[in-house]
Amino acid sequence: MVNDQAQMYTLEGFAAGVLMLLTAYLVLGTTTVYTPGDVHITDMQLQQLGSDALAMMDTPNSHGDTNELVNIINTTDHELFDDSFMANLQNLTESTDTCIDDLQYNASVYYRAASGEVASYPLATSDRGDLVSREPAVRVTRWVTVNGESVSEIPEAADRRNPQLVLVEVLLWRG
Amino acid sequence: MERLNDEGQWIVLMGFMVCVGIFFLAVIIAQSTVVGQTTSEGVLEFPKNDIQDLRSEVIEIAKRGGTSSLKADLKTLSMARKNAVVECSITPGAVNDSYYEYTRIILHFNNGVTEFDETFLLSRPKTP
Repeated sequence: MVNDQAQMYTLEGFAAGVLMLLTAYLVLGTTTVYTPGDVHITDMQLQQLGSDALAMMDTPNSHGDTNELVNIINTTDHELFDDSFMANLQNLTESTDTCIDDLQYNASVYYRAASGEVASYPLATSDRGDLVSREPAVRVTRWVTVNGESVSEIPEAADRRNPQLVLVEVLLWRG
Repeated sequence: MERLNDEGQWIVLMGFMVCVGIFFLAVIIAQSTVVGQTTSEGVLEFPKNDIQDLRSEVIEIAKRGGTSSLKADLKTLSMARKNAVVECSITPGAVNDSYYEYTRIILHFNNGVTEFDETFLLSRPKTP
C-alpha cells in the first residue's frame, strides 16, 4: 500500500518549488537593458513639446489675424523665429533659474520647386544649433501656407506662388 | 517513521499568503519599468501631430477653393519629407441644401505604419 505519511511536507515542497520558479522568472524579467537608442520616453516628451511650440506659433492671437509663423516665413525673420520658438519651448510656470533646460534646434523650410523637386533653405538655429552630426534629435514639422512671392529665400526660378504650401521642419535635441 | 506533525498549519498557510502577496507586488513593480517605455514607443510611432496638422491644412486648402498647386505641394512634400502617401480630393458644392453649400473633402494618409482616411463635409452658408 502507498505510504501516505508526510503529505503536508510534500505539498509544502511543491509550493516552495513553484514560488522559487516564479521568483526566478520575475527576476529575469525585470532586468531590462536600456540602450541609448532605446530611450523613447524623453524623445516622446521632446517631440510633443516641439509640436506644441510650432502649433502655438501657427495659431493667430485673435480671430482673423495672420499668424506669427506665416509672418516669419514671409519675411524670413530669423530672430523672431528664434525668440518665439525658444520662448514657447522654455515657457515655465517657475522662474527659469530654478530649471535649466538646454534645448537646441535647427529649423529649415522645405518647398516644392517648379520641376517637382523638393528644395529647402535654413530658417533659424539656436546658439549651438548647427551641430547636428552626433546629437540624438527628434523631428517636428508644421505645414504653413505662405505667400511664396514674398519669400526671398525661394529663388524666382523655383516657381514662387501665392499661396504656396511649405513645410517647416525643426530638429530638436537636448545638449 | 515518525508521524506527520500537523501542528502550526495556520502559520504555514499565513506564510504562503504573505508570499503570494509579496509576489504580486513584485509583479506590479516589474511592470512599471516597462510601461513608460512601451507607451512612449506607441506615442512616437503614431503620427498624431502629422495627421492633425495635415487635416487642418487640407481644410484650409478647401476654404481657398481647392487650389491644385497647394494639393501638389502637400503631396510632394509629404512623400519627400515624411515618407507618407497623401491623397486629397476637394469637391466644392458637392452637396447642397437650402441654407448651406458643402465642400466634400476626401483625405487619405498612409505612412506605412498608420493609415488614416476621412471624408468630411465643410459647410459654407449660402448668401441670401
